[in-house]
Amino acid sequence: MISQRRPPAEALRTRPSTPRVLRQRPRTRKHSFVGVLASERIKLRSVRSTYLLLVLGVSAVLLGYALAVMAAGMYDNAPTQQRLSARIADLEEVVVIVPQLCMGILGTLAITSEYATGLIRASLTIVPRRWPILAAKSTVVGALGLITGATAVFGTYAVTRLVLGDRFSGAYTGAFAERLPLLITISVSVPVFALLGLGLGALLRSSAGAIAIIVGLVYVIPMIIGNVPEPWSERLGSVMIGALPREITGDTISTSVYGSLLSPAAAAAVLVAYAVLPLLAAAWLMRRRDA
Amino acid sequence: MVRRAADPPHRILYGVIELHRLTKRYGGTTAVDSLSFTVGPGHVTGFLGPNGAGKSTTLRLILGLDACTSGHALINGRPYASLSRPMHEVGALLDASAVHGGRSAYNHLLCLARTNDIGPARVTEVLEQVGLADVGRKRVGGFSLGMKQRLGIAAALLGDPEVLMFDEPVNGLDPDGVRWIRGLMRSLAAEGRTILLSSHLMSEMALTAERIVIVGRGRLIAEATVAELTAAYPSLEDAYMALTASSVQFGAAR
Ligand SMILES: Nc1ncnc2c1ncn2[C@@H]1O[C@H](COP(=O)(O)OP(=O)(O)OP(=O)(O)O)[C@@H](O)[C@H]1O
Ligand SMILES: [Mg+2]
Repeated sequence: MISQRRPPAEALRTRPSTPRVLRQRPRTRKHSFVGVLASERIKLRSVRSTYLLLVLGVSAVLLGYALAVMAAGMYDNAPTQQRLSARIADLEEVVVIVPQLCMGILGTLAITSEYATGLIRASLTIVPRRWPILAAKSTVVGALGLITGATAVFGTYAVTRLVLGDRFSGAYTGAFAERLPLLITISVSVPVFALLGLGLGALLRSSAGAIAIIVGLVYVIPMIIGNVPEPWSERLGSVMIGALPREITGDTISTSVYGSLLSPAAAAAVLVAYAVLPLLAAAWLMRRRDA
Repeated sequence: MVRRAADPPHRILYGVIELHRLTKRYGGTTAVDSLSFTVGPGHVTGFLGPNGAGKSTTLRLILGLDACTSGHALINGRPYASLSRPMHEVGALLDASAVHGGRSAYNHLLCLARTNDIGPARVTEVLEQVGLADVGRKRVGGFSLGMKQRLGIAAALLGDPEVLMFDEPVNGLDPDGVRWIRGLMRSLAAEGRTILLSSHLMSEMALTAERIVIVGRGRLIAEATVAELTAAYPSLEDAYMALTASSVQFGAAR
């Protein structure tokens, strides 16, 4: 007989069939991070948006090339008097916003696409500790960001040097070794954006929100800060990601829209904080939040 | 398989899901209300209840996806979150449409498999087992709901687990697919596995499940064998209707 709410003890105890096959279990091993890493690598490699963003990010070299050709043309057509005083911005720094934005979006999508599709439930179910997923995504997305950033920055340096020759008072004829530190720190800003995008995506769980913040950091906030009254313009400008590569290497220039108040060590710490703090916050929250 | 639980010592467990006064509140709504029942191995346990009864929430709580407000759920005597490579012990299908449409079926499964150190050979194996071998390299976005259900089942089977949980896997399947699922569930149970299967299809449950757990408004309404229910009522459907009559929240007036 069936009773409502509290079934009789017999009904509870009945186990109509006993297991016929008792299978051998593999010995339980600790979750391997290598496996989670491999999984995240496949996840990125198996969607089209990754390739699109990589190609777009690296295409910054073409933009750099176009800018260099334009600058060379203007230089050649200018009267000698103007040529002597003509200056050119470091084109690597100009074009790096393209891979910064692309990798920021790549990092964001790496996690928000899982929330959008619901795949995150499966991902979190099979890795109950959760943080290895973020760590693996950080590794993959950070590595792609670094490769893309370095390709865009060093590629732009190479083509610009080739196109400009000794124009602009020899701005691009200096020793490569002298310029190397700045090229490295500018390149490193790209994986920072990738990790920042991942962290923000994991915190907000929405592509739109995280990408809006990334775009704001690249384009909007630097413009706003330029119009804030001093000393705040300089102070805030010094902690913008765009300011940090030069502050780290000490190559500060007066024409920059950014500030230059930070010491190299402080600037490096701020750059790391941009990448790591949102991720740490996301990992902490991910442990506690319902999936 | 024999596993020893940490506490009490020397308790021997075969694929068992235990719920002890499991409770989950979302703000003001109590989705699962002090729910206790046990699911044992060797047969299919049907998990029934009206819309919004808390079935999906219960499965999420068991899997540690949502944190329970109070009470606890154990799998083989341990909380799910303490399993180090859970795919080898528990397989679950919660939402078949939760896949990235741009990824191929093979890559989707491989992403899941890798996290628990399962290789590509096993991925190919489960694709064959669910009848998706021919479309394994196709993008999941083009799959029908039935194909996605098969893919979700394949994912649950990857680790060859002895505890399996399926949330409405029959949804979207054609009669052939429904029959296939029935056969698969029974054969998995016959292998000694523990199967918790939620569904709204009474006729299907009558054919597939041996035990039934019915919930309504988050509470346990009945826990019995199909045989007991069909002995007391004309059919399983009648039993379900009678037992859940007071717990239907989202229904037309009867
Ligand atoms: N994340 C959530 N936040 C708030 N309320 C929720 C959440 N998840 C579930 N609920 C509520 O909990 C209750 C149980 O929902 P659940 O999805 O578990 O029911 P169900 O038995 O699976 O229903 P169905 O048969 O329709 O799938 C519902 O009232 C639902 O609105
Ligand atoms: Mg449900």
